[in-house]
Amino acid sequence: MRSEDIAVKIESLTKRFGDFVAVDNINLTVKRGEVFGFLGPNGAGKSTTIKMLCGLLLPTSGRGFVGGYDIMKESEEIKKTIGYMSQKFSLYDDLTVEENISFFSGIYRVSNSKKKERMEWVLEMSGLKDRKGAITKTLPGGFKQRLALGCAVLHELPIIFLDEPTSGVDPISRRNFWNLIYDMSKAGTTIFVTTHYMDEADYCDRLALIYRGKIIAEGTPNELRREHMKQNVLEIETDRFVEAMEILQQEGIEAAIFGNLLHAVVADARIDIPRVKRILESSNIRVARIEKIPPSLEDVFVTLIESA
Amino acid sequence: MKFLRIKAIAKKEIIQIRRDPLSLAMAFMMPVILLFIFGYAITLDVNNLRTVVYDQDRSSLSRELVAEFRESGYFTVVGYADTHKDIDKYLDSGKAQVAVWIPNDFSKNINTGKNAELQVIVDGSDSNTATIALGYITAISELYSQRIMGGRITPLIDPRVRVWYNPELKSRNYIIPGLIAVIMAVIAALLTSLTIAREWERGTMEQLISTPVKTPELIIGKLLPYFFIGFVDVALSVIMAVFVFEVPLRGNIFLLAVLSSIFLFGGLSLGILISIAAKSQLVASQISMVVTFLPAFLLSGFMYAIANMPKPLQVITHIIPARYFVSILKGIFLKGNTFKFLIFETILLTFFGLMVFALANKKFKKRVV
Amino acid sequence: MFERIKQMIIKEFIQVFRDRRMIAIVFFTPVMQLLVFGYAVTTDVNNISTAIYDLDKSYESRELVRRLGSSGYFNVRYSAESPDEMQELLDRGRITTAIQINRGFSSDLKNNRQTEVQILVDGTDSNTATVAMDYANRIIMKYTKDMGAQRVESMKIDLRTRAWYNPDLRSRNYNVPGVIAIVIMLTCLLLTSMAVVRERELGTMEQLMVTPLKPIEIMLGKTIPFAIIGFFDVFLVTMVGVFWFDIPIKGPIQLMPLTTAIYLLSVLGIGLFISTIARTQQQAMMATFLFFIPAVLLSGFMFPIENMQEIIQYGTYINPLRYFLVIIRGVFLKGSGIDILWPQMLSLLALGTAVITISSLRFKKRLG
Repeated sequence: MRSEDIAVKIESLTKRFGDFVAVDNINLTVKRGEVFGFLGPNGAGKSTTIKMLCGLLLPTSGRGFVGGYDIMKESEEIKKTIGYMSQKFSLYDDLTVEENISFFSGIYRVSNSKKKERMEWVLEMSGLKDRKGAITKTLPGGFKQRLALGCAVLHELPIIFLDEPTSGVDPISRRNFWNLIYDMSKAGTTIFVTTHYMDEADYCDRLALIYRGKIIAEGTPNELRREHMKQNVLEIETDRFVEAMEILQQEGIEAAIFGNLLHAVVADARIDIPRVKRILESSNIRVARIEKIPPSLEDVFVTLIESA
Repeated sequence: MKFLRIKAIAKKEIIQIRRDPLSLAMAFMMPVILLFIFGYAITLDVNNLRTVVYDQDRSSLSRELVAEFRESGYFTVVGYADTHKDIDKYLDSGKAQVAVWIPNDFSKNINTGKNAELQVIVDGSDSNTATIALGYITAISELYSQRIMGGRITPLIDPRVRVWYNPELKSRNYIIPGLIAVIMAVIAALLTSLTIAREWERGTMEQLISTPVKTPELIIGKLLPYFFIGFVDVALSVIMAVFVFEVPLRGNIFLLAVLSSIFLFGGLSLGILISIAAKSQLVASQISMVVTFLPAFLLSGFMYAIANMPKPLQVITHIIPARYFVSILKGIFLKGNTFKFLIFETILLTFFGLMVFALANKKFKKRVV
Repeated sequence: MFERIKQMIIKEFIQVFRDRRMIAIVFFTPVMQLLVFGYAVTTDVNNISTAIYDLDKSYESRELVRRLGSSGYFNVRYSAESPDEMQELLDRGRITTAIQINRGFSSDLKNNRQTEVQILVDGTDSNTATVAMDYANRIIMKYTKDMGAQRVESMKIDLRTRAWYNPDLRSRNYNVPGVIAIVIMLTCLLLTSMAVVRERELGTMEQLMVTPLKPIEIMLGKTIPFAIIGFFDVFLVTMVGVFWFDIPIKGPIQLMPLTTAIYLLSVLGIGLFISTIARTQQQAMMATFLFFIPAVLLSGFMFPIENMQEIIQYGTYINPLRYFLVIIRGVFLKGSGIDILWPQMLSLLALGTAVITISSLRFKKRLG
């Protein structure tokens, strides 16, 4: 692949904090214009990786390139070409919406002619047009986020890094947020997102799954579903699902709770549906419904983690 | 370095300052309050020394002597002792600071041409007051001596004393210029020592360092608004000193403005350095207290003359910028010093400011850890 | 309830000392401050930098100069050759005093004529100036007497003076106990106000409020750690004062823990009060200094209260430092016991109780 097509390249990147290895020898490539998702539970190493890519943290070993620039030696150049939204979406609480936008415009040296236009753009995309004089502290979480995103991208940069941009935000706002991300992607921006919400995985072009500092899977959502889940997933509806899970696990069947349903991973649905039913009913657990469902990424992930 | 980014940082800082009117009010109140306290409330001049008199003689001569003490204005008689033990009680309880003990052969001795003894006891625990009290007592008893001799003896050596720069020895004149230096040192630190630590604590610094903003731009942008505030404080202090407290300003006011600016630059940069080093506001405040407030107060020569300190400490005072600023202010206010007398101090202050600024730039890293 | 308070206290200690530098700051700096204070803060006037302009250059003039120099008060550093030189030395601040002995000094003395000695003093430091003038006068007077040139004794009054409690008039003895009081106040004040407001600023106060913790428990959890630190500091600093500076402890030292506790009541109460008016740590820090500096200046630490204006004197009654200073100086230097100090102790107790009560009420209101 030509280097202009690759936005981010990581080779054997490692970060150690004392004895603790936060990021363990990872390799990744992100193509230009992609929406790349970096998934994993909390503490897996997502934030640490993003901070290294943005030049906020020095790696212990390994190499990385963002926009062609070396993350160890050219971090200031990188900062000129990227937008970053930190996990705490740190806007200035005591500034108004407008003042925050104006501040970041100044920092990114948006030219005077474009300034007004970009201000309008951010107000529009964050839905804060009629609240531009509001003090940021008073905004609800969803709006703060969109505003933070707006401020991070207002200078039309080619690559954006978003660190858990949707944490703690209601589902509707989350959908809106991802719509925004799509729009930017369509315009050619490369977007590198971390999240711990598995359902957001489907929104990405490509994903990497990270667990305890190591990348345990990589690919498009479908690839992941296909390749890593040769098994079938059964969805079981029963009122005593906790007991049911324990019983199945004792039988050597992988089972996990999803909401108030049970997902069990089996080798072959045709054989195992009756088998599971038998096991549960012989323990006097009534099964209301049992059927094969397509594996969600969450299933994939749980399986991968268990085997890791 | 790009001007636009500095402007953005300065503007943001100004908005934040405006949205915290309480801090701003305190920044302006502090010099006013301190000047008032020093100008009106406090005086180093010692008067009204509480005195207990133990007059065993009870003659007209002894009463005259007591009257001398009383009329000097320095001593206030709070009681008369009947026994020696009474003196103990007065001094121990703090009811009196001075005890005048006239023995019963006082007038007899004087009238027969012999020397008469006079005992004076001072509460030495406040040695400052005690020393001065002793000075007064000596002077009064000598004057009295001369008077009862008929006032004909003029001492062979007549000391003529002239006091320069501060002829009435108003302690106020001496304190206030130095006080302005101390106020400025404290305020400079208070203004800037928390600003960077605060952004780290709130998380906005992490966002900021992911942008192309350069360290010098960040520091200068933050310094500018506080410099302005500090300068207003200096002006306020000088105006109060001259018009409210009538401290003479004999030197060049422009020189005063320039040198104050240099000092401010150094003080504010020091605050920023503390903020960078501390990373948490709690730590920054404690460091500030130790590194700026206390040295400015104690080791700058403002209150306690440096010449009276032990040698090692005198050496240490050389690295305290407030020391030079105190000299500068006293020089400009009271001595009417022109620039040529202050070159040494100016160079040092400039050097200090630049060095601290450079250090702050070096210490700040655009990285999270 | 005690368990919860204990948990809060432990958490507070962990948080405060998470940054290792805090250990140094909290324990080391009071000691350092004491050392600096002890040495720097001296109102003893010695080594007054002096220049002599001797136009007579006789045996007698040189004798006078010798006496001045060997008195220990004057440091004769310069011998001026002209009035301009004296002026310049004064202007540059190189000397504080200049003494001019005119030509004819010696012959005047020998012929019993009155002669004049000029003393020039830099008045910018009026404290030093007053003392310098006094010393110079005394030395000259004594020289006169010793000359025996007068036929009639000039001194009819034989003045004997004694200084009690501090016979050498070491100002250090006076100042160091006071420093203990001040150093503790600043450390505890700053720590308490900043620590409480920090929680508010970082948002963790809200977190505390939704737990079963009662307001009083939060308050105790926030003040007890600093009381402990305060006690430790007092102890540490007292040790340094006694063993390094040889400050005497003439009175009942066992009175100190009790009075320190009462004193801390006020200090922590004020810290708590500041935390109720400050929303941010910036405000807390400024408010602390804004209170502290006047409190020190108007406490009798450096400037005697009785020399202040009436109104201000009344104001000092609400300054806990005022009472504690009397107590600590009394115990250390005067050997005063509870029989003499009970008014101060009572006042301190009353003040402390009032402050803590008002602050707690405000604190509860801010929480709820």
